[in-house]
Amino acid sequence: MTRRTHVALAAAITAALTLSLGACTSSKSGSGDGNGDGKGITTAGNGIIGGTPVKGGTLHILSNQDISQLDPARNWTEPEMDFGIRLLYRTLTTFKAAPGKDGLQIVGDLATDTGQSSDGDKTWTFHLKDGVKYEDGTPIVSQDIKYNVERSFDPDLSGGPDYAKNYLVAPAGYKGPLKGAELGNDSVETPDAKTIVFHLKRPVAEFGYTVTLPTFAPVPKAHEGGTTYGNHVFSSGPYKVEAYDRGKQLTLVRNTNWDQSTDSVRKAYPDKIVMDQSGSPEGIADRMIANQGDDQSAVMYADLSHAKVADVITNPDVKARLVSENENCTAMVTMDTQKAPFDNVNARLAVEYAIDKEAYQSAAGGPALADFATTFLPPALTGGTAVDHFKIPTAGDPDKAKAYLAKAGLPNGFSTEITVSNGGKAQAEAVQAGLKRVGINVTINAVDASVATSTIGDKNKQTGLSLNGWCPDYPSGATFLPMLFDSRIISDTGNSGNSSRLADPAVDAEMDRIATLTDSTAADQAWNALDAKIMDAAPAVPVTWQKKPLLVGSNVAGAFGSPIWSAQIDYATVGLKSVK
Amino acid sequence: MIGYLIRRLAGIALTLLVICAVTFTIFYLLPSDPAQAFCGKDCTPDRVAEVRRQMGLNAPLIVQFGRYVLAIFAGRTMGTGSYAVHCDFPCFGYSFQTGLPVWNMITDRLSVSISLAIGSAVLWLGMGLLTGVVSALRKNSWVDRTLMIGTIGAAAMPVYFTAMLLLYFFCAQTNLIPYPRYVDFTADPLAWSQNMLLPWLTLALATAAMYARMTRSSVIETLGEPFVRTARAKGLRERRVVSKHGLRPALTPVVTMLGMDLGGLLAGAVITEQLFGLPGVGKLFADALHKSDQPVVMGVTLVASFFIVTSNLVVDVLYAWIDPRARLS
Amino acid sequence: MTTTVPAVQEPTERQGQVPASPWRSAWRRLRRRPIALVGLGLIVFFVLAALLAPVLTAISGHGPTDTDKLAVDRFLGGLPKGSLGGVSSQHWLGVEPGLGHDIFARLLYGAQISLLVAFSAALLITVVGVALGVTAGYFGGKVDMVISRFMDIMMSFPSLIFMIALLSVAKDVNRVLLLIIVMSLFTWPYIARVIRGQTISLKHREYVEAARAGGTSSTRIVLTEILPNLTSTIIVYITLAIPGLIGSEAGLTYLGVGVQPPTPSWGQMIADSELYYKLDPMFFVLPCACLFLVVLGFTLLGDALRDVLDPKGGNG
Repeated sequence: MTRRTHVALAAAITAALTLSLGACTSSKSGSGDGNGDGKGITTAGNGIIGGTPVKGGTLHILSNQDISQLDPARNWTEPEMDFGIRLLYRTLTTFKAAPGKDGLQIVGDLATDTGQSSDGDKTWTFHLKDGVKYEDGTPIVSQDIKYNVERSFDPDLSGGPDYAKNYLVAPAGYKGPLKGAELGNDSVETPDAKTIVFHLKRPVAEFGYTVTLPTFAPVPKAHEGGTTYGNHVFSSGPYKVEAYDRGKQLTLVRNTNWDQSTDSVRKAYPDKIVMDQSGSPEGIADRMIANQGDDQSAVMYADLSHAKVADVITNPDVKARLVSENENCTAMVTMDTQKAPFDNVNARLAVEYAIDKEAYQSAAGGPALADFATTFLPPALTGGTAVDHFKIPTAGDPDKAKAYLAKAGLPNGFSTEITVSNGGKAQAEAVQAGLKRVGINVTINAVDASVATSTIGDKNKQTGLSLNGWCPDYPSGATFLPMLFDSRIISDTGNSGNSSRLADPAVDAEMDRIATLTDSTAADQAWNALDAKIMDAAPAVPVTWQKKPLLVGSNVAGAFGSPIWSAQIDYATVGLKSVK
Repeated sequence: MIGYLIRRLAGIALTLLVICAVTFTIFYLLPSDPAQAFCGKDCTPDRVAEVRRQMGLNAPLIVQFGRYVLAIFAGRTMGTGSYAVHCDFPCFGYSFQTGLPVWNMITDRLSVSISLAIGSAVLWLGMGLLTGVVSALRKNSWVDRTLMIGTIGAAAMPVYFTAMLLLYFFCAQTNLIPYPRYVDFTADPLAWSQNMLLPWLTLALATAAMYARMTRSSVIETLGEPFVRTARAKGLRERRVVSKHGLRPALTPVVTMLGMDLGGLLAGAVITEQLFGLPGVGKLFADALHKSDQPVVMGVTLVASFFIVTSNLVVDVLYAWIDPRARLS
Repeated sequence: MTTTVPAVQEPTERQGQVPASPWRSAWRRLRRRPIALVGLGLIVFFVLAALLAPVLTAISGHGPTDTDKLAVDRFLGGLPKGSLGGVSSQHWLGVEPGLGHDIFARLLYGAQISLLVAFSAALLITVVGVALGVTAGYFGGKVDMVISRFMDIMMSFPSLIFMIALLSVAKDVNRVLLLIIVMSLFTWPYIARVIRGQTISLKHREYVEAARAGGTSSTRIVLTEILPNLTSTIIVYITLAIPGLIGSEAGLTYLGVGVQPPTPSWGQMIADSELYYKLDPMFFVLPCACLFLVVLGFTLLGDALRDVLDPKGGNG
C-alpha cells in the first residue's frame, strides 16, 4: 500500500488534500459520469511524451522535499518506489516499462523468469540471471535477497511492504537478522548463489507479482547500515548514488557495472540524474511551466498542485508536456461501523446517497484531476472500466438519503464529526456541505496529520467519519480489499487499514477462499463480487479516483505515467530528446 | 578586559543552560509520549519502544537532562548493539526519520542561510543607512517626513506580501528574473545572486525600515553632541563634520543590532525560506514541522538560540573592546 | 475622549490625581497629526469589521464556511469565475478558489480571530509585564536582579522558533488560547523592561519619596503614585506591541502551527493563496492587504502616541 506516506507527501506538497490514489491506464471514461462534460486531462498523444530518448545528458528531477526512505526494505511510498526500483535496485521480477495495459505485465528482473511454483503455489523458486552485479562489480547472490527479506521483518526498519511477513513461513516473533537470527530453510532456501526458494504459509498464486516489491531487492550484508541504510543505498541498478545532501540534492551517476544485456526493462538513457530537493511547490510548477534553461530537461517529482491546473490546460504548449494518468487509488469517506448511528446500515446508506461527489471532486482539483469513484476497486482492478455499484447521481440523491434516514429511525438526521488532517480540510468541507442537505450535521475536526492518524486509529477517539484511501500494490484485489475490510487486522489503537472497523465473518471467509484460487480470472471475478457485497454494507463511500498530473520539460522524452506506480513517471525509460 | 570577558562568559553559560532546560521541558516533558513524538507519525509500537530505549527515556528526568546537555559537548551513542546510533560532538539530537544527526543536517543547510543573511544584510544596510542619514540631515523637512512614513509602511509589509508581489511582477508578469531556486555560490556566482535577489529583497525591505529609523535618531542625537558642535565651531566643513564626527559614533548601535540580526537569521528566516523554497535551516525547520520530525525541530531550536546568544556575546565583546565604558555595565 | 476642545490649558503632566488634563492635551496634539488619525481610523475600521462580522455576513448572504460551487470553474482547477477573483454582487470581494468560500466573510471572521488573539495577548503581557516591571523597579535589590536576569534570558530566546516549538508539541489543545499564552510568554519582557526603567525614575520623585517617608505602604504607593503615572507609557508600548502580535499570529498560522481550520484566519488564507499567486492574485492581495493595513494602523497610532505621551521614551 502506497497509501500512508503517499497521502502525507501529497498533503505536504500541495498543502491541500488528498488521498491521491488511483490506477489504470488512460481510460478517460473512468467514472460513470454520464454528463460527459468533465473530460479529465490526460497525457497527450499515445501516452508517451517526446518519443524515444537519446543516450546521455543530465536529467533533472524537481522535488520540494527530501525522499522519505530509499532503504529497499522500507520503501513503500510512491514515487519513491518507482525511483528506487527503476534506478537503484533490481528486484526478482519487475513490471514492464510501458503505458497502459502492457505496463501491468511482469518480467524477470534479477530472476530469469517470473518464478516457478510448486506445492499448490505454496513454494516459489527463482533463478538469478548470469552477470548481474552491484556497483562495485561483485556479483549479486541469492543470499543477499534473502537477507533483505529478513530485514523486512525488523520492527526498526519500519514502513516497508509487509507481504513477506504475511506470506512467508517464519518463526513467530522473528525480528530480522540484526537481532541475531536468520530465517531457516523452511522459510527461505538459498541452495546456491543463483537460486532462491520461498516457502509460503498459504497458496499465493500471484507471488510472482509480490516479488516486484523492493523487499525482494538484494542488500549485501557487508553494506548493512541499519536504520541509516537508506542514506547510502548500495546499488544493483543502472545508477548509483554519487552525492546525497538530504533535503537539498541527490545526484545519481551511471553504475558502470550494471549490464544492459541483463536488463530488458530499464533503458538508463541519461548519464546523470540530479534530483533537486529544494524549491517550493508553486516555484517548481512555475518553473516547469516557464520551461527555461535546465528546466527543459527536468521532470516534476510531486503532483502539480490543482492551483496550477488552469495555467496548464489553457496553454496548449504546456498541456502537451503534461503527463496525467489515473493513480488507481480510491479515496473514501469512511464510517466507524461500530458506533451509533453508523452501526446501522441504513444510516450508512443515507450517507452514501447524501454525499455530493461533485463538490468533493472540486475540492480535489475538479474533473481535470479526479474521476468520480463509484466502487471500492479502482478501474484497473475491474478490467479497465469502472463499476458503478449504486448508480447514484454524482451530486448525490438527497431524497433517497432521507428515505434511508427514515428507515434508520433518524428522520431528522443526526450530528457527527469528521477527522481529517489539515491538508484534507477542503474535502471535509465538501462532505459537510453535502450531508447538511439531509440534516446530517458534520463538525470538522481538522488536526495535524499525526494526530489524525492516531485519532482515527483509536477505538475510543475515532470520530464517526474520516477520510482515507487505498492504492493497490499490483493489479490484484488481494492487495486491496483485505487491506481495508478484513476484520482480523482491526486493533483497538493504532488501527490503520480497516478504519471502518467492519467485522463480517462471511467477508473474512470469502477473502480467505479467494486467496487460495489459482485461476487469476476466477479470482478477479470473485474479488469483484466481494467488492459489490461490501458496497452493499456501505462501510465507506468511495468518492474519487485521482489523477497524477506531472509536467515535463520540452527536452524530455520517453515520459509516461506508470500504470502501476500511482501514475508516476516511469524512471526506467525517461531521458532527453537531445544532449547539448 | 579579561575580567569582563569572564563575567560575560559566565552569563552566557547560564543563559545557555536555561535555554537547554526550557527546550528539554518543551520536548521531553510536555508531550504525553516523548518517544512517540521523537519517532514520528508512522512509527510502529515496536519502533517507538526501540527509540525509547535508544534515548534512555526510562531513566530519571535529571539523568536524562544531564545526558542531553553532556551530549552537546561530548557526543553521544544512543542504544546498543547493531542499532546503536552515533551522534558526534556537537550532538544536538538525532533524527530517527532520516537517520542523521541533527547537527549534520543543519550544517548542510547553513550555507544557504548564510547566503540569504549576508546578501539581505548588505541590502538592508545600504537602504537603511542611506535613508536614515538623508532623513536625519534633512530633519523635519518633507523629505524626512516622506521617508519616515515610507519606513513605517515598509515595516508593516508582511513578508508574504512582499514576496508574492515581487514574484508576481518580476517572474510571472514580466519574466525579468527566472523563478528563484537555490544555486550554490561556488557553482555559479552569477546565477546565485540572480536567484537570491528576490529573497534578499523580501527579507531586506522590512528590516531596512527599522535600520533607517534607528540610524536617523542616532545620527540626530550624535549631531547634537558637544564634540560635534566643537568640530563645527572649529570651522570644519559640514560634510566633513557629518562624515568624520557624526556618522561613526552614530553607527555603533546600528552595528550592534546588525550582529544580533545576523545571528538570528541563521535559523530564523523560516517564512522567507519557505516562501521561496530555499533549502536553508529555516526550511529544514518548517519541513520537520510538517513531517513531525521532532528531533530536528528541537535541534534547530537549540542551535538557533546558541547562534543568537553567541552573536550577542561577540557584539558585546567587540563593543567593550571599542568602547571601554561598556565594560562597566 | 471628547471632541470638544477645552480652552487652552497648560499640560501639567505627572499629576496623577487629575488625569483628565494631560489626556486631553494629548488628544489635542494627536488630532493635529493626520497620520495618527489615519492609523486610528484603520484600527476603528478593522475593530468594527470584526465586531460586526455576523451582521455584515448576514447582509452579504454568505458565511465564512459556506461553499459555493457555482462561483468556481470546476474545469479550471476550481478557479473563480469572472474577473478580479470572482467579484460579483453575490460575492463582494470574490471567492476563494476550490470550494468557493466567500472572501469577504472570511476576511471579517479572520479579523475577529486576529484581533482577538492580539488584544488578549496584549492584555496578558500588560498584566504580567507591568506587575513584574513595577516589582523589579520599585523594590530593586535582589528582587530586581532576579527579575531582570530572567527578562534578559527570555529576551535572548529566538522567540519565533520557540513559539513554533511550543505550539508544535502541544497538538490537541485549544489553539487560540495556546497561541495567546505562547505569544505572551515571549513578549512580556519587552514591556516589563520599559516599565521597570520608568518605575525606577518615578521612585525617586519627591512626592513618592515624601509618601514613603510619611509611612504610606508600598502597595499603596505603587497603586496610587506609580501606576497612574505609568499609564501613558503602558498605552504607548501596548499599541506598539500589537502589530507584532498580529504579525506573529499570522506567521504562526501560516506555518501551520497557529489557528487551525475550519476557523477562518488571515494566515491560513495567505498560506492557501500562495499557490494561486499567479492565476488569482486577488486571493493573496486581500488578506495580505488586511494584515498590512491593520499592522500599519497600530504602528502609526503607536508612533504618534509615543511622541505625544512619552516624548522621552523611544528606546524600548
